[in-house]
Amino acid sequence: MNLLFQQYLNIDEWLYRIEVKMQSKIGFVVNPIAGMGGRVGLKGTDGVFKKAVELGAKPVAPNKAQEMLKEFISNFSKNDDIKWFTCKGEMGGNELENAGIREIEIVYDTDDKNTSAEDTKKACKKFLDLDVDLIVFCGGDGTARDVFKTVGKKIPILGIPSGVKMHSGVFGINTSATAKMLHEFVNQTLTIGDSEIMDLDEDLYRKGEWNIQLFGIAKGIVEPTYIQVGKTHYESVSDDEIKDELTEHIIDEIEQNNDFLYLFGSGGTIDYVARKMNLYNTLLGIDAVYKKKVVGKDLNENKILKLLDRYQNAKVILSPIGAQGFILGRGNLQLSPEVIKKIGLDNIIVISTPSKLVHTPVIRVDTGDKTLDKQFAELEFMMVVVGYRLSRVVKIQNKLKNHV
Amino acid sequence: MKRNSTLFLKEEYEELVKKSIDWKLRILETGSTPHSMVDGKKVIMLCSNNYLNLSNHPRLIREAIEAAKKFGAGSGSVRPIAGTMKLHMDVEKKLAKFKRTESSLIYQTGFAANAGLIPQLAGKGDIIISDELNHGSIIDGVRLTKTDRAIYKHRDMGELEKVLKDADKKKYNRILIITDGVFSMDGDIAPMDKIVKLGNEYGAMTYVDDAHGEGVIGPDGRGIGAHFGIEGKIDVEMGTFSKAYGVVGGLIAGSQDLVNYAYNKSRTWLLSGSHPPAVAGAQLAAIDVLETEPEHVKNLWNNTKYFKKELSSMGFDTGFSESPITPVIVGESSKAKELSNLLFDDGVFALPIVFPMVARDKARIRTMMNAGLTKKDLDFALEKFEKLGKKLDII
Repeated sequence: MNLLFQQYLNIDEWLYRIEVKMQSKIGFVVNPIAGMGGRVGLKGTDGVFKKAVELGAKPVAPNKAQEMLKEFISNFSKNDDIKWFTCKGEMGGNELENAGIREIEIVYDTDDKNTSAEDTKKACKKFLDLDVDLIVFCGGDGTARDVFKTVGKKIPILGIPSGVKMHSGVFGINTSATAKMLHEFVNQTLTIGDSEIMDLDEDLYRKGEWNIQLFGIAKGIVEPTYIQVGKTHYESVSDDEIKDELTEHIIDEIEQNNDFLYLFGSGGTIDYVARKMNLYNTLLGIDAVYKKKVVGKDLNENKILKLLDRYQNAKVILSPIGAQGFILGRGNLQLSPEVIKKIGLDNIIVISTPSKLVHTPVIRVDTGDKTLDKQFAELEFMMVVVGYRLSRVVKIQNKLKNHV
Repeated sequence: MKRNSTLFLKEEYEELVKKSIDWKLRILETGSTPHSMVDGKKVIMLCSNNYLNLSNHPRLIREAIEAAKKFGAGSGSVRPIAGTMKLHMDVEKKLAKFKRTESSLIYQTGFAANAGLIPQLAGKGDIIISDELNHGSIIDGVRLTKTDRAIYKHRDMGELEKVLKDADKKKYNRILIITDGVFSMDGDIAPMDKIVKLGNEYGAMTYVDDAHGEGVIGPDGRGIGAHFGIEGKIDVEMGTFSKAYGVVGGLIAGSQDLVNYAYNKSRTWLLSGSHPPAVAGAQLAAIDVLETEPEHVKNLWNNTKYFKKELSSMGFDTGFSESPITPVIVGESSKAKELSNLLFDDGVFALPIVFPMVARDKARIRTMMNAGLTKKDLDFALEKFEKLGKKLDII
């Protein structure tokens, strides 16, 4: 086994982790109106709650939150020692009580009948003051963004998927997966890693424009990566160590192709690589590098196309969004179909930490160009770089089926 | 700067002890026999690799003694200088004949074979394609190269072909596919016939680490090549003398070109002392026993079949093993450890394998069969498994 194959820990170490665990402090907040817009065709609930209600929208999130909690209680949490901090009523307290959880403390209450983003933020601020280990929230990308705005990278966050849009990497794939992740976090078998916060500009979307932006990099819950250090002894490796390997790989790659222009995509992994190479990098944007020097910062499509005219050979380095797996079409619309066609599918380098890949079973592309998407689909798979000169097969799926 | 140059030795060891992850060595007060004395307790041995019980075979012991008497306790040198004895050459000739390959080469250990040969087979501009569950010695061998590496899902030939296609498209010079033969956690077997076919199709070299298959699978225990009827078609059949053969040492079998190349290039082979005569004498006898006494392999498989069948009929999940490695899957890690401890108290020695070595809900006791165990021994062990399985709500 090597570090890409994660796994393996000595049983005593494993049991030690379980035995020494402390009580976990979890902040729990539900955005009760999340997901309501979807049922009535609004593609989101941000700013249009009244309209959604007029159209007959019913609450979705409270049920989803309860579903996750019940799953957590019945299947996973028999011995988990948790102190829950939450909000009054539908913002968390009701859901916890309905799931049969009694060890809760209401730390936030609002008089306003119609809760808003501000309430989510205020509740999260309270959780931070109380020094919780993790915030579990129920909602969609909009809620994730609100939580992230308050929490930043201070503590990890975990989303129960319940919104209209869930492109962010902080969500479990479904309520059951979220319950399992929560249990594993409490038992210290999962660790903390980078997770993307994505969001669609809903005003633009309702006008027919599709623009999903990478909003920021939060702390999410990820599977640790282990390396074998003895016959049955394994040590977990930090994500940074893996990213150091990825950096070495990219340095080798660039040195071997000295006449290539490299476009550095967005996101935490690529940002780390660029910074390790002492290159300026735009976390949420696209930068261009030639002979290990930055030749373009935070580029838009036009600027990229101009650079591609100037430099004959180019490659682009991308990293998938956690869980969703998008490498194109989410958060990087600058890499337009024209840009990708010019670069060529063979010149796309996808890098990822193995821990991210555990929860990202397929790679997705949604370039907005059907022919190009088809070309990706025909590839069937991509080799994703997961360590120094180390890659593995990941399937390509053309867009998320039935995805908004 | 003032340094304490050796402080880390103590500190890191103490950290291991604190976390209870230091190795607590079990001490055998007998030989590695079906009934062993371990830490003062008499136990049925279900976790040694001495599958055929050849380490206790009178012929191996006799030949080891004879060789030591005749040629001394040590070989005096590394193989390339003055440490190649006729005895070593005899083992290699006999092994090649047994494996039905053109030639063979003995390494000091199995680890030395992988760590020494793999880095010589691929370098810059080449790619090594590896099963995700390959053994650590393969991984270390691969790490010593500057080659690109790609991983395919365990035994997934569709995925292997995808990687091969990609490697072909990227115009690598050499492509090397490496896999374990019998996988040591689940006891399943690599589909070597299909791997060789794919290798031929894409011009890739094939390399199998058959440590748990040598002496165990295939007619007369001739290993994975014989098991699939593709003897001489796998480019490198690597194995060990330390498991079913009952001695110690690594081996490779293949073409004369492979052997010529390997002993001129493998640094582990070139720079380690050669096996003492007693080891070579016992190796020679082990092959001889396999050729002339088919009952050992037969007993091993009879025992294996009986043990697996009985465990299954009790309601235990024994996974998908195709070899004498039988996992007894119990679920949670803590349960596997508890079962292992209780089994030991009751006189059965079998180790637990837990997450992250296997999936979180697939923690298990790994049992390894021995041809020297009698039906009475097996029934004794099975009775303990049944009793404790019920006690722990596993069955």
